[in-house]
Amino acid sequence: MSTEAVSGTTGTLLVVDDDPDMQRLLALWLRAAGHTVRTVSSAAEALTQVCIARPELVITDLRMEGMDGMALVSRLLGDAPSLPVVMLSGAAAIPDALAATRLGASAFLTKPPTREALLAEVARQLERSQSGGSRQGSFGAGFVHRSSVIAALLEEAALLAKGDISIMISGATGTGKEVLARAIHAGSPRGDKPFIGINCGAIPEQLLESELFGHEKGAFTGAATRHEGLFVAADGGTLFLDEIGDMPVSLQVKLLRVLQDLEVRPVGAVRGTPIDVRVISATHQDLEQLMLAGEFREDLYYRLNGVSLHIPALGERREDIAPLTGWFLARHAARTRTSLKRFDADALALLVSAPWPGNARQLANVVEQCATLAREDLIPLSLTQRALRGHAGQIQTLKEAREDFDRQYLVSVMRLANGNVATAARLAGRNRTEFYKLLEQHRIEAAQFRSDLGP
Amino acid sequence: MSAPHDAERTPILVEVERDLAELIPGFLANRANDVVSVRALVSRDDLQSVCRIGHSMKGSGGGYGFDTITRLGGEMEQAARAGDGTKVLALADELEDFLARVRPVFS
Repeated sequence: MSTEAVSGTTGTLLVVDDDPDMQRLLALWLRAAGHTVRTVSSAAEALTQVCIARPELVITDLRMEGMDGMALVSRLLGDAPSLPVVMLSGAAAIPDALAATRLGASAFLTKPPTREALLAEVARQLERSQSGGSRQGSFGAGFVHRSSVIAALLEEAALLAKGDISIMISGATGTGKEVLARAIHAGSPRGDKPFIGINCGAIPEQLLESELFGHEKGAFTGAATRHEGLFVAADGGTLFLDEIGDMPVSLQVKLLRVLQDLEVRPVGAVRGTPIDVRVISATHQDLEQLMLAGEFREDLYYRLNGVSLHIPALGERREDIAPLTGWFLARHAARTRTSLKRFDADALALLVSAPWPGNARQLANVVEQCATLAREDLIPLSLTQRALRGHAGQIQTLKEAREDFDRQYLVSVMRLANGNVATAARLAGRNRTEFYKLLEQHRIEAAQFRSDLGP
Repeated sequence: MSAPHDAERTPILVEVERDLAELIPGFLANRANDVVSVRALVSRDDLQSVCRIGHSMKGSGGGYGFDTITRLGGEMEQAARAGDGTKVLALADELEDFLARVRPVFS
């Protein structure tokens, strides 16, 4: 037998053939070469299998009862554009097989296939898709998942990352919009340039304008020094505009102009600075509704939404809960340098069935809390129930929400004032003593804002 | 067998990959079933189903090392498509004969 493929690229494969003898033969060859193989007898079963657990490659017969291989290819590639499909067909059906490759199948082999030809083709397809970085590779490594819906999303994102089109990410709070934006940036040709994110909803209008576009010294009261702005800071890289739906309409006009002219003019500046920035924006709101209500500019929407990606809520992809939980536990252990904890079976079952209105972020908080409070390495159901109750509905108390806002506001003002507390206090309309108290309360140190942003 | 005919006395040796050894008896038994099915289908004039059986044999035979089965399957598919039941039956006889004489030699 040929064993050379054992040392080559291996993967998880799905074999689709309605002839059981053929199925057995292909499975034996592929397993002997080190691949993990599942077999099904119909295209319909194949579609179900792909939904349950996405394989890295599909090998399918062309002629099958019911849905044939051709229809399967078009269905598969609609859902997973870069999933390699190898088609097997009799010599008489070569024209059909060629049509299938035009449809998107990666390759075809004539039946009866030889072992060598099959293994070589499988290895070639796996290598191509894995080295393309589009699947299972490094892309989106931070986006822990098991669901095929996220696998498909990452696949699409990996392809989009290579280009320069502006991307709009939608999804509820805590679904991982920034994680995805970072993955796209990292997988893009701009990956070694800055990724700068800003939450457009957390900053008052004047500050947001200055943060984004920068300002000249003396441009307004309190602008004691020049501030270059995030567009300039992100030059060559990616600017992530989170909660874009919260951006005031007046700033939307300015943003649109920057995106159209590829030039940013800091507040108070006479001349513009050319910029080369890819913009990824995100929102949990329905921007089309906002447009209808006149709260979001249509022209800006189309400028930002070159292509849109939607991250489904965690409740719509429960198979991701267990792997995410494992990942958060590992992160907790690494951060706190403690032993790796795990949930007992009942506790994990509870996590998997919980509602998660706050999505992955809420799950992270619950896992973090359990891992911190657990005395043993095995986290029990009772502790998990308590943590879940504590995070019910993920609604912050008014006090927590105010504190969050204050913290973000103080950080913005301090950044704008380059760490000068007197200036920051003036901008915020507070006296210096009071302002110092606020900084202290939130453990914000002025020095942190001085070093990185000189005039 | 009390009166073996010549064919049974002349085994056909076919070299087969050793790691397929476990699958071979099942594969050959399924072909023997195909012979029975094909004859029944011809008697019912269901050549379309014969066509599918021939197509399957053609696709899998060579992979297992039995090029003869691939050839017979292909010819059976063609004959069935042409509506030639007599030819199909002759091919079924040929397949039955092959199955009776084939001796896999594992390499």
